[in-house]
Amino acid sequence: MSQISNLLIPAVLFFALGILARLIKSDLRFPPDLAKILSIYLLVSIGLHGGFELGKAELGTALASVLWALALGFLLPLAGFALLIATRRVDPLNAAAIAAHYGSVSAGTFLTAIAYLGNQGIEYERYPLIMLAVMESPAIVVGLLLATWSRGRAATAGGAPSAGGNAHLGEIVREAFTNGSVVLLIGSLLIGALASEKSVEALHPFTTDIFMGMLCLFLLEMGMEAGHRFGDFRRVGLVLGAFGLLMPLLGGLVGVVVGHFALGFGVGGTTLVAVLGASASYIAVPPAMRLAIPEANPSFYLTLALGVTFPFNVVVGIPLYHRLAEAAVGAG
Amino acid sequence: MHQLHPEKLITVVTSEVLEDRLVALVRNRGASGYTLLRARGAGSEGRQSGMLWFDSNLLLKVILPPERLPGLLDDFSALIAKGHHLTVFVSDVAVLSHEKFERPLAP
Repeated sequence: MSQISNLLIPAVLFFALGILARLIKSDLRFPPDLAKILSIYLLVSIGLHGGFELGKAELGTALASVLWALALGFLLPLAGFALLIATRRVDPLNAAAIAAHYGSVSAGTFLTAIAYLGNQGIEYERYPLIMLAVMESPAIVVGLLLATWSRGRAATAGGAPSAGGNAHLGEIVREAFTNGSVVLLIGSLLIGALASEKSVEALHPFTTDIFMGMLCLFLLEMGMEAGHRFGDFRRVGLVLGAFGLLMPLLGGLVGVVVGHFALGFGVGGTTLVAVLGASASYIAVPPAMRLAIPEANPSFYLTLALGVTFPFNVVVGIPLYHRLAEAAVGAG
Repeated sequence: MHQLHPEKLITVVTSEVLEDRLVALVRNRGASGYTLLRARGAGSEGRQSGMLWFDSNLLLKVILPPERLPGLLDDFSALIAKGHHLTVFVSDVAVLSHEKFERPLAP
């Protein structure tokens, strides 16, 4: 019962309401761009808030967090790619695009986890916030390299040489690291870290007081988007659907190991690193993949990231990673 | 009676992520200007709600002198060959003050 009551927080309930609204075909609809405005707000306020805390952080742990975030960002998509190829349900280009989503992170899932921890009064380290910013980009680069490699293999195997966008590798790498959400988050972290304590306090109503309400609105919209994707599930199929559940479990497990045993975080911080490992991007990566791997089918990666993995993480994953984190911390 | 001049109107519907590339192509091919609109609808790529970053379409309109049309169509064909989804159509239009459409955009 306690597991269920942990889920009865407004953010998660609004997410459920969004799904329900879609399932009963309600005419509920946000005005255009509201979801974008909300995600800009969430990134800025979490950045400012975290940056202020990180201003007092240890440089060594911060650097170690960045290095581990890079390692996760580069290695998780490789694991996802290998798993997807093993299913034999998608060609290598689709596998590369899907894998890139799973190596990157979902700020929505991360913030839901913060709401979940806050509801239970669990303290957490702020370093996972830097990891959130760092982990947006590497997977995009890995997805791109995998796609380039796959195109090369297809060409040498005698297939028609693919016209795909290999020529823009440098440009796409630059775009991956100058992506709007990365710039917003890192910029806000720096502003929060550099600004004086008094000036940051003046922002308290903006960064803290209204934060949970804005998160509720954002998750309501994301619930509607997820509910909409349920209909596409038929196109994805059972095996890929299973990947959408298995991959976050694998990423979550790796995240727990990294969070506690490599970085020495407590239960809260370890849960957040697990959420980073488990979540799949639906803000930064889809447009990047649409540009870089146009051959891949967007309904595969969007349905998996938004329709399968995101709801799974919000409802089942976060409490589960919390339990795993508790077990890891208990084990030493 | 007004004097009208024949020009070509090229219309493209595609994903918003291609905006920068399309605009660069239109400039390179010596268009005098272009108009961009946000677009919603459904097609071979499924519903485009316009709510999220990856889920918005744009509608691009460019009026060109007929002799500059083939080059731009080549560029759009190259994008389609790479796997991008573009809906492209060309119409005959008549314009007032055709000098306006002869002057390429400043780079």
